[in-house]
Amino acid sequence: MSELLDRATPALDRLGRLMEARATLAARFEETRASLARRHGAPALEPWAAGTLALVDVNAGAGVLLAFWRASLELAPRLDPDDLAAMAHGAAALCREAGSAATVAALDAFAGLEPRLTGAEGRAMWWRALARLGQVTPDCVELVAAQAHRLVVPGHAMEFEGFIEAGLRATGRDRARRRAFFALEDPLALTLLARIGAGPGFDEMEAELRMVLAALWDTRPELQPLPPAGPDMPRRVNIAGPVLRLPAVFPGMEGEGARRLYLAATLHAGAHLHFGNPRFPVRKFRPVQIALATLVEDARIEALAMRRFPGLRRLWGAYHVATPEDGPTVAALLRRVARGLFDPAYADPDALVGKAQTLFRAARDRIEDPAMSLDIGTRLANDVGQRRIRFDALGHVAEPAYRDDGLGIWDFSEIDPEVSDDVQMMVEAARPTPQEADDAAPQDGPPGEAPEPVGRARPARGPDEGVIVAAYPEWDAGAGIERADWTSVREMPAAAGEVRPLLRALERAAALRGRVARLVKAAKVGRAARLKRQAEGHDLDIDAVIEAAIATRAGEMPDLRVFRSSARLQRDLAVLVLVDVSHSTRERLADGASVLDVERLAVAMLAEALEKLGDDFALLAFASSGRGDVRVTPVKSFAEPYDAAALARLAGLQAGLSTRLGAALRHAGAQIARVRAFRKLVLVLTDGEPSDIDVAAGDLVQDARRVVLQLRAQGIDTFGVTLDPAGVGSAPAIFGKTNAMPVRRVEDLPERLSELYFRLARR
Amino acid sequence: MPSAPDLSAYRIAVEPYYRPVGDEIAVFEAAWRHRLPVMLKGPTGCGKTRFVEYMAWRLGRPLITVAAHEDMTAADLAGRFLLTPEGTVWHDGPLTQAVRHGAICYLDEIVEARQDTTVVIHPLTDARRMLPLEKRNELIPAHADFQLVISYNPGYQSAVKDLKESTKQRFVAIDFDYPAPALEAEIVMREAGADLALARTLVAIAACSRNLRGQGLDEGASTRMLIHTGRLAAGGVSLEAAVHAGIVLPITDDADVRQALGSAISACLV
Repeated sequence: MSELLDRATPALDRLGRLMEARATLAARFEETRASLARRHGAPALEPWAAGTLALVDVNAGAGVLLAFWRASLELAPRLDPDDLAAMAHGAAALCREAGSAATVAALDAFAGLEPRLTGAEGRAMWWRALARLGQVTPDCVELVAAQAHRLVVPGHAMEFEGFIEAGLRATGRDRARRRAFFALEDPLALTLLARIGAGPGFDEMEAELRMVLAALWDTRPELQPLPPAGPDMPRRVNIAGPVLRLPAVFPGMEGEGARRLYLAATLHAGAHLHFGNPRFPVRKFRPVQIALATLVEDARIEALAMRRFPGLRRLWGAYHVATPEDGPTVAALLRRVARGLFDPAYADPDALVGKAQTLFRAARDRIEDPAMSLDIGTRLANDVGQRRIRFDALGHVAEPAYRDDGLGIWDFSEIDPEVSDDVQMMVEAARPTPQEADDAAPQDGPPGEAPEPVGRARPARGPDEGVIVAAYPEWDAGAGIERADWTSVREMPAAAGEVRPLLRALERAAALRGRVARLVKAAKVGRAARLKRQAEGHDLDIDAVIEAAIATRAGEMPDLRVFRSSARLQRDLAVLVLVDVSHSTRERLADGASVLDVERLAVAMLAEALEKLGDDFALLAFASSGRGDVRVTPVKSFAEPYDAAALARLAGLQAGLSTRLGAALRHAGAQIARVRAFRKLVLVLTDGEPSDIDVAAGDLVQDARRVVLQLRAQGIDTFGVTLDPAGVGSAPAIFGKTNAMPVRRVEDLPERLSELYFRLARR
Repeated sequence: MPSAPDLSAYRIAVEPYYRPVGDEIAVFEAAWRHRLPVMLKGPTGCGKTRFVEYMAWRLGRPLITVAAHEDMTAADLAGRFLLTPEGTVWHDGPLTQAVRHGAICYLDEIVEARQDTTVVIHPLTDARRMLPLEKRNELIPAHADFQLVISYNPGYQSAVKDLKESTKQRFVAIDFDYPAPALEAEIVMREAGADLALARTLVAIAACSRNLRGQGLDEGASTRMLIHTGRLAAGGVSLEAAVHAGIVLPITDDADVRQALGSAISACLV
């Protein structure tokens, strides 16, 4: 019998022999083996032993082996030896990447979390995700393992892997940021964490909320996401003037529940904006007075809102569920007051609720007046004060969840020093942390970078040097000769960028997009052309009829094509949009967006239109650093579709270097020349004069002019849309007066670019 | 000269329901006295066509309505030669009929027609008041009772389609918009046979949708739409279903807009 076993379990035997030699491990090994053997039978332990050997083979060390055995014992009731072996192999793979300490932490965390991982797939995901993390940044594995109980959410375990991936992508090579992210100290990490098992979030809801606010309250406030505050800290909507800040996600809320909460919260905030935000001066008010007055004000604007839109009672009523059983705290009492004010039919044993209802009812005649909230709020607060129960200013959170934080209706500029500490505390507790400005911060360098002279070259941007794809001549105006092969064009691979800010900008330009969409619709149909002398048609071509009659009388064969008809003109058009991304496009506008941002938006809108029209088009960005280094970045080639990847490439364009327009135009011309189309257009989008480090600007203007003329001879029309606030640019000199379109205000660019296109395309 | 008997089909026998909103009747009557051409501007479904019908009834004139469309040619308005075994026979178009026999000619949604088609009305709308038919080599002086009315929705497609300046400037314009809420509720009640509460709810829903103009919707729900919806609801369809069928589905195909509109509507319903 024993011989038979020996032969069937080579791994177990080898392991046994190895462990005998190691005094520190032998006892624990034997203990684990025996325990597992009792449960599963010794022969079944072979895979488990093989797993342990895999750990030994990667030199995992005693700590890892002990951790593995600990986990094996703990998980033995649920997992069979094969599953335990899979755990060992996963741990071994991780150990190879991240070392022993990380593996110990991962094994211990795994033992605790295993039930949440739901099955072999979830378990494999855990090890795969950690190995991937270890591969890139071994030092973060332990951090993640320590936070695993927050990251692996029951029912949403698979999102763990997505979190790791997102973290690696977001933090790039920044080691400090990476550590902060995986220690869950980074705001983005908290946002992503809150999204696990929750949603739809702000991003998904924004468009709908915007429309609902417009529909019901005819108001169009700016909507911004608020990152989560921290573990177990509820977030509330914040109203800051015309800006509504909504939680990026309501943690723990999913699907329709999350949607309704967003709706309820947004419409509540919208009602505040609509019925007037009073801005009560804080002065001497104590936190409890502020809290109660806010509560009454909330009820007041809701009563007004429900008068107009009775269906809102259903929406908000679902959140008023406080009952006397909730406990004796002030917070619970405030919830009941809120319910009582919201629902006059609600009866509560506490006198405060009844009093609030009575006062509120009595003030019905002046419900339009915000002062009533202050009035009733302070009287109720006095009652609370007399009861000598403590109001926790620091822990105070507006309830129910759809209500805003209440700070928007208070003016904190005048605070009596007597009460200021308490009030400060309350404000601090509720205040949204300064937001990580994801779209304000440029992707092209740290903020606060010293401004550099416009149009000058900067050092090379990255390690990726691209490939030289062509050499072009250049006109030397001074010498009056064309220098052959003078410039080299380098094709830089386009990097995908963060699409969200661009999408948000597109969203904001909805009205303009609508106009462009209508232009598209009209242009798509094409114009009708009247066709004369047709064999069939809806009308007689009277001239043809007369000729036919004359022919008949003259005894000749008449031409029977005597009808008129109409037909649609076909569009046959190719367009290449050449975008200047030189250093000067970094310039910031009043609203914080850079010129490049506006260019991106303009190009995105035009591209959207072109895609819908079905016109053949390509997008090409350019910049230069001397004649040997003219860089073009293909965002979309003629053959590619305009899809999410192209949009990401557009979003990923970075500003830098100079503007050697002539060379870029030659390259654009060469590209579009290969396309078959009846009409070919090159649209140049630039923010300034041609310039480069190694040549005078005037020469480049002349060179660009020459290219434009050469292209025209080839049947390619070139148009320049230039940002030219002063109206003194050289665009007319380059593109010709009719083909140059100076744009005085950068903000108008998107509109003008699309307009220009439709004007051109019609010709 | 009384109008020719063949226009009797174009006469309006029964008074159409029309609820005046402002001084539009007085303006129209003044224009009629001088036979000035009138342009009715306003969003779709706010009562432009109903107003013309009402005025034609009130003035006792036949009303010839032409719905303009993209493929409409000048021949569709003025008339054309048709082929018969004997040769070609001229056939008056609706505009020519109105000009000859003294009717009100109403060109609905004139911007839909191409600009080169609309210039055919130019000689009729200035001091000449005549219609040249070049194909017949005929010049028809307008009947003393002939009047031209056009309707025009400036908000929609205005980027693409617009009237020529030379066309616009020939008309006296009357601006139409959706009536004020109380008035609109009254109209919906009367036309749809709905009760006041239902009519008010529908008007509130319409106001929401009109707020979305330019933000997902090209046009908000029109009074006509409310009347249709009101009829559905008054006819026993549940209000939610009636609003869905009568307003939400026709007005947009965009899923996001539908959802937002649905939320707004649910806030309006008791």
